[in-house]
Amino acid sequence: MGLIASYNLRSMTVRKGTAAMTAGGIAMVVAVFVMTLAIAQGFRATLVASGSPQNAIVLRKGATAETLSAVPRTDVPLVETLPQVARGADRKPLASPELLVAIALPRISDSQPANVPARGVGPQAFDVRDTLKIVEGRRFAPGTREINVGRLAVGRFKGLTLGSDVTFGNATWHVVGIFTAEDASFESEVWGDVDLMMPAFQRTGYQSITVKLAAPSMFDSFKAAVEADPRLYLAPEREQVYYADQSKAMTTVIRVFGTFVTLILSVGAMFGAMNTMYAAVAYRTREIGTLRALGFSQLRIVTAFLVESIALALVGGVIGCILALPVHGLSTGTTNFASFSEVAFKFRITPALLAGGLLFAGLMGAAGGLLPAIRAARIPVARALREI
Amino acid sequence: MKFLGLILKSARRSKRRTALTVLSVAIAIFLFASLRAVLDGFNAATEASSATRIVTQRSTSLFFSMPTSHADLIRNTPGVQDLTWASWFGGIYKDPQNFFAQFAVEPESYLRLYPEIQLTPAERAAFLEDRTGCIVGDGLAKRYGFKVGDKMTLRVGIPTYGTQDFDFNIRAIYHSAGAAVDNQSMMFHWKYADERSLRKGQVGWYVAQISNPDRAAQIAGDIDRKFANSPNETKTETEQAFQSSFVSMFGNLNLLLGSIMVAVVISTLFVSANTMAMSVRERTTEIAVMRTLGFQSGTVFLLIAGEALLMSLIGGALGVLLARAIVNPDFLQAGTFVPELRVHASNLAVALSLSAVIGVLAGAIPATMASRLKIVDALRRIA
Repeated sequence: MGLIASYNLRSMTVRKGTAAMTAGGIAMVVAVFVMTLAIAQGFRATLVASGSPQNAIVLRKGATAETLSAVPRTDVPLVETLPQVARGADRKPLASPELLVAIALPRISDSQPANVPARGVGPQAFDVRDTLKIVEGRRFAPGTREINVGRLAVGRFKGLTLGSDVTFGNATWHVVGIFTAEDASFESEVWGDVDLMMPAFQRTGYQSITVKLAAPSMFDSFKAAVEADPRLYLAPEREQVYYADQSKAMTTVIRVFGTFVTLILSVGAMFGAMNTMYAAVAYRTREIGTLRALGFSQLRIVTAFLVESIALALVGGVIGCILALPVHGLSTGTTNFASFSEVAFKFRITPALLAGGLLFAGLMGAAGGLLPAIRAARIPVARALREI
Repeated sequence: MKFLGLILKSARRSKRRTALTVLSVAIAIFLFASLRAVLDGFNAATEASSATRIVTQRSTSLFFSMPTSHADLIRNTPGVQDLTWASWFGGIYKDPQNFFAQFAVEPESYLRLYPEIQLTPAERAAFLEDRTGCIVGDGLAKRYGFKVGDKMTLRVGIPTYGTQDFDFNIRAIYHSAGAAVDNQSMMFHWKYADERSLRKGQVGWYVAQISNPDRAAQIAGDIDRKFANSPNETKTETEQAFQSSFVSMFGNLNLLLGSIMVAVVISTLFVSANTMAMSVRERTTEIAVMRTLGFQSGTVFLLIAGEALLMSLIGGALGVLLARAIVNPDFLQAGTFVPELRVHASNLAVALSLSAVIGVLAGAIPATMASRLKIVDALRRIA
């Protein structure tokens, strides 16, 4: 350890320019790594946050998404009166029959029409999803063409500000409230009364029922009860599982893409580190010979140079993480292909992701430093000392 | 040019270092060209879209249908020459993971309006005759090994189409003559889907052929006015606008891929500038000797910069060759949402010139250092 601290790490500062450029190359790789994975993290977190452990979503059997499901109106009383469904203060079951459609509204950023998710919900919806908070205005009144808009949708699409009127589905809707949902995908949605949205969108049934269970542990018995009823062609799913599945395809695409790009890029940066370390070994041939003559073993020399290379890469890794940090919290949007509508989400850089970036940098340093370190250790002592 | 030999000689001085630098430039250029190919792939359909086709959809959004009765009203609009329609089917082939586009189309007019879909007269006749016939793109056929004469079964994805599976006969494999139609889709008779649909006579979108592209906006307005204040209001736009709204669904791809490309270039610049600086430092004495022998400082500058440029160009050439070999539909199956990827010639030119820029920038500082060297100091130095 003493050798590493006093010799290798101090040597690193001698060639400042070279060290800085090598670290810079690695920094760019780590920055790209952290940023692309931050997209995947953010997208996933947004959808996962939409699910509550106490909630279950009921879809038609075989349907993988709300938009591909159909729930007849007559099924709703059968499901919501099951004993596992929690009841509100007024003893009404906490269940919300819903309809999710995409409406075309222009984006604020580029005026291009985007598919904005519009969700028709039942009167209990705000109690079923208790993370929702009205931050401006009030809840829509059931039976009126009033709508509530998620905070992120307000900022992304034209005409959704509080008090404005929006036309879709051959009707004009009045925005009476803005809500937040702890960063869940609901913040990208427009909510209104399902029984008014259904005729407006020429639908004849619901797509799903979301229920709040009396306790999270009751899911299995709830599922069994729904499946046991021969009148119901429905399949309940835990809300968290449902939303995590929705994010899977997109997250996988981004992860695979991000990893692929950074892996290739890292090979280039690793070559840079290799060059630098070979040069470092070449400059210091005589010094290495001296160290060996003093009795430092080959293993010590290999470790010392390897650690030098890793330290150099880690410096780059830290710089890369710092470069990536400003994107944290930036919001952007993409289409959730499960619902074919746009979801806004925020880049999300977690400590684990930063640790991953540093680990990645460390690996680049180790891979780039190994061969030069072995060369350093193999230098014959006598010849090394003779070198000028 | 007479110094080329000298440049090559100095590049070979440390073979390992030169190889590593060339390879890192090659990797960067490969990444750059591939990322460009992804962007090109996404924008290809928009760029190749026809100026004489306009698309009418429901104003609420594409996911709402409208009745077939719209067809005559659109056809009668002055300026409209021909009309076809299509619906999104959204069926599942064996597993939801096997995603590809399926369109229920009015077959005769669709083939008329989309000459990009290339079929032999025999294939065309076979498709039109068979009510349950379908055609698939050659890309899709390759992905799942479809052959003409095969049967294909799709599970219903959208509840409107009932619960019963749909059986199809593959009557032709089409080639696409333009990026406006991709080769990853399947098309079949709209009537077949309509028969089983819970709501009859519904159409996803209409495509009208117009004679004069300059009048597109006016004709689109005329069409939309016909349905204003009806239960099925429409929004008509050019095919280009229609296509680009699909690309924008992915979010800001240009920004995302663009910033990755910038990072790639900067990172490579660091690596190669670093290498050149190292090699100049190592050759200090040598350069001093050359200057003593009468080499002008300008020549020394050109020698070093030339070496950087040469390494970078070789790396660039390797990179584009690699990209050309790997990023092409015969080798790479991108699948699902990503269109066919191909590295275009223009893309190659951009990537190669970029490698030249990297070379010049990477060589500039070390070359300046070398040309400004004080001979006496340099000769006095040992390592």
